[in-house]
This record gives sequence, structure tokens and C-alpha cells, in this order.
Amino acid sequence: MTPSPSDAEMTEADGAGDGRSLVDRAADAVGGVALQAVDTAKVGVSSDRWTETLRIARDELGLGFFSWLSATHWANDPQVGDALSQEVTERFELLCAVSDVTGGELVVFATDLAATDPTVDSLIEIYPGADWHEREAREMFGITFVGHPRPENLYLPNGFVGNPLLKSFPLLSREVKPWPGDVDVEEMPADGGGA
Amino acid sequence: MTIAPEMVRNLAGAAVSVELETPDMTLNIGPQHPSTHGVLRLVAKVDGERAFDVQPVIGYMHRGYEKLSEVRTYPQITALINRIDWVSGYANEIPFMVAAERLMGVEPPERAQFIRLILTEMARISSHLVFQASYPLELGAATPLFFALRERERVLDLIEMVTGGRFHPNFNRIGGVKPAVGAGPTTRKTIQDLPAGFLAETRDAMDRVLSTADQLEDLVAGNEIVLARTKGIGILPPEVAIAYGVSGPNLRASGVGFDLRNVSDYLPYHLFDFVVPTGGAGDCWDRWWVRLEEIRQSASIVRQAVDSIPSGPLQAKVPRIIKVPAGEIYVRAENPKGEMGYYVVSDGGLGPYRLKIRSASFSNISILRWALEGALVPDIIAIMGSLDFVLGDVDR
Repeated sequence: MTPSPSDAEMTEADGAGDGRSLVDRAADAVGGVALQAVDTAKVGVSSDRWTETLRIARDELGLGFFSWLSATHWANDPQVGDALSQEVTERFELLCAVSDVTGGELVVFATDLAATDPTVDSLIEIYPGADWHEREAREMFGITFVGHPRPENLYLPNGFVGNPLLKSFPLLSREVKPWPGDVDVEEMPADGGGA
Repeated sequence: MTIAPEMVRNLAGAAVSVELETPDMTLNIGPQHPSTHGVLRLVAKVDGERAFDVQPVIGYMHRGYEKLSEVRTYPQITALINRIDWVSGYANEIPFMVAAERLMGVEPPERAQFIRLILTEMARISSHLVFQASYPLELGAATPLFFALRERERVLDLIEMVTGGRFHPNFNRIGGVKPAVGAGPTTRKTIQDLPAGFLAETRDAMDRVLSTADQLEDLVAGNEIVLARTKGIGILPPEVAIAYGVSGPNLRASGVGFDLRNVSDYLPYHLFDFVVPTGGAGDCWDRWWVRLEEIRQSASIVRQAVDSIPSGPLQAKVPRIIKVPAGEIYVRAENPKGEMGYYVVSDGGLGPYRLKIRSASFSNISILRWALEGALVPDIIAIMGSLDFVLGDVDR
């Protein structure tokens, strides 16, 4: 989707700049590491360099378009969904996607935050569009954004206890009634061939 | 405020000096208001006729799709994401399908991609026609609604003809599109194809869409009241729109010719000729005009696609039980309302470990507070309506 290639084909797919791939250029510019993702440029940085990273992305890489910000909660023993196939260190992976508005280059910046009391600086000074996205991440994951002027709930009523997108937060509708689809699962044809 | 004596003609000669108290008043708009396209609430401070510090209050349509997706399988998730932006339900499915397919390394057949493209552009036409219907209505003109909705109904009929659904087609399958009406997912029949007559009817419908676009332009563009309500109102400078992540027609109206159909390959748009209309001033008028022009461009794309659609299968070979290999991907698409994307984190299971839904309207209306600062109270509706949002697309 983005013109940035995955690791396998990152040599010459990107015509811009000096022929290096977007993910490498971005990782070099911000002093981060290229992370594994499919058809997506993903760059990991440490959380104390979060605002600096995004400032470089905007000013030097020309990624001025604020696409989105969110997080992934990496946790073992989730209340909802399947458990991960491998044990992980419990943590939050904060993700922020920014893009340019000419060639459509998009980079997803990622940083790991501690599982307890995750805190990171707000991007609102760099990208005003981060405002609502950070409020959403705050109420859904419990991440504190230092410097955010209105750290209030966006969706949930004030006083709501809990952070719904944590893997430890149960899906209440399933607690009340198990997935109704369980009762009418058809038997799968034995051959397993294509449709 | 002081009234000068010479202004008060009937009391000429009398010494009049009235000091009017205009303390800030808090004005609550919504959550039930026809112009909010769902349930949005605005809390504005009003000083005289001008609004300040307008706080949008959202969340009334929050259905928690990101959480629900964690307990659904990939094929089940299409039923959810249809309902994000229900005015263009079909278009919502595409980036998610492409994301899952790319993680699996599956390429849908060409004919399936053409069908996806045709239906996506029809969804764009129908979404923009809803805007062409509702926006003049919000400004006080009822007539365009009948022209626009009449045509939209015909476009929805075509979508229904292929998918069986007007709003929530749930038509895409990983690796292609669902064999059309009649064949269930486990039915072992010859795979069915587009319904007979669909291509011819689509050509007719696109001709009618084009003539309706002309009618709408005649009706609205020359109307002095519409011009007075929209020209120079709600100007979004391009640098502000970009920093807020405003996308789609709203961004293009501000003069930024950025269209994901041109820069990414989620559907074969490179095969077709179309122009990306851009505005100059970034005001409400430009946003109206860009959407009208996009209807024409989409109709042209649909006609080209119908004329060149290849024959072949509708579905790539995929396992009966869809398991998506571990990996992360972000795929975004140019939806009628702007950039819609899905960040999929897969652990190799039947459903995603995490699904981040980037919807266009969420970022598009996060700019409301900026755009409404100091606006006249009647302009609040004009500016809000011109951003063309759907609350389902905001709250998800």
C-alpha cells in the first residue's frame, strides 16, 4: 500500500531520495530501527525520544500529515481473543502513523511503553491532530500523555472505570451470553479445498 | 455596544446611549440535530452572534469495533466494518480485505478487483449524493435533495443487484468477492457471476448520474443564498488541514491534490483516466464543488471499468478456514470521506490480535474546534455540514 517495501524487497522499490527504502531513510533520520511489517514502513524508537522523532519526521522527512495514533497491548493470558502463540513481555506498543501528501509515503513510528503506568510526551505541539487520538489512547489503554491540555474521556462517560482495549478487560457482552455463533457452526467439508 | 444617536432616526435629537450586556452564553447543540448526521453534540460559548471555544462531544455512536474485532474471525469482521461509515458501507470493506490478503500473500483475480473498484466508486457516488442532498438542505434549500436521492436510489439498486444489500453488502471475501446472489458460501455450485444486465444498467445509471450532477450544479451553484452562505466561510488553510489529518475531499478542497487512488495500489486505479479536483480557497463552497466534481469523475471511472472488465474467476484459491500468518500491516484507501485504513496485528490465528481502525471522519471533525472559532452561529451548521461526516465513522 505505501510505496515502502518490506524487508525482502527493500533495495530498489523506492525511487525517492538516494534509492534507499523509506523505512531505512526514516530509521536513519530519527536514529531508530527498522521493524518487521508487511508493505508498511515501521520504525521503532525509544520512548524518551518520541516527540523528537516525530518532529524530525515532520520537518526533515516531510511527513506532515497526521494519520493516526494508537497502541497495541502485548499481554499474555488475555481475557478476550486468543492467547499469543509465544510468551511476550507485557508492554504497550504506541504507534503513530504520519504521511506526506504528495507521494503517499507513510511511516508508522513505534515505541514501547511500560506495562504499568505507561507515560509518554504528547505530540500535540507537533501535530495538533494528535489531540483526539491521544485522548482515545488514554481512555482505551490508560496511557498518560504528558502535556495534553484536555486529558478527558472522548467516548466513555466521565467516571468510567477501566480501559476497554486492555487485553485484561473482559468483553462484557460475552460474559453475559456466550457467542451465539457457537451453536450453529456448520461442519466444514472434509476436503479443505478452495471455494 | 453603544448606539450612536444619529443611528436612531426616530429619536433624532434624543440623547441615546445604551450599553448592551452580552455576557458569554453556553449554547448546547445536539446530540439530536438534523445537521449532525448522527448524534454529535457541540458545546459552544456564544458572545453575541459569534461562537468561541466550541467543544465537540462524541461517543454516542461508539460501538467498540476494535474490541469486538479481537473476538471475531477475519471473515466475520466484514460484517462489523460495513457499519462504520454506513453511507458508503461497501468502501469500508476494501482496505481490510486488502490488508488480510497481503498478510496471507493472496492476490484476488483481476475480475474481482474490477468488481470491487466499480462498487467502491458507486459507494463514493452514493455517499457524495447524500452530501449533495443534505448540504443544501442544511442551508435551507430542499429541492436538491429530491434530485440527489432519486439518483442515489438507482445507484443503491445496482449495488443491491450485485451484493444483495443496499447499505451493508458484506460482499467481499478474502481472495475475491462473494459469488453473487444465490450461491451461499458453502454451496457447491458453479460460481455465479455478476447478474445479467448489470453492466448495461450501470452504463445507463452513470449517464443519469452525470446529468443529475449537471442539474444539481444548475440548481445550487447559481443560487445567491448558497453562494452567500458558503463562499469565504469556514476556510481551512492546507497546512492546518494536513497537520490535523483532514483527508479526502475536505483536504482537496483546500488545494492539496492528494488522492490515495493515485499513490497506492489497493485497487487497479492506474488503469483508468480521472482527474483529482481541487479547490482554491478551502471554504465551504469548495468542499461542495469538489464533491460534485468527484461524482462526475467516479461515474467516468465506473464507465471505463464496465467497458474494460476482464472475464475470469471471482475468487482466488484460499483455504476454507482463513488463518492469517503473523505480521503487521497498515493498508489505507481513499474512501468517500477520506483516508480509511486498518492496522492489522496478526498472530497467525483465526482473528486479528489487534485491529486499529483509522476512519476519515474522526480526524476530519477533530478540526471543528479550530474551524468554528469565532464563526457566526448560523455558519456553525454551514461549516459542519460541509465537512460531510458520519458519526458512525467518527466513533466506530
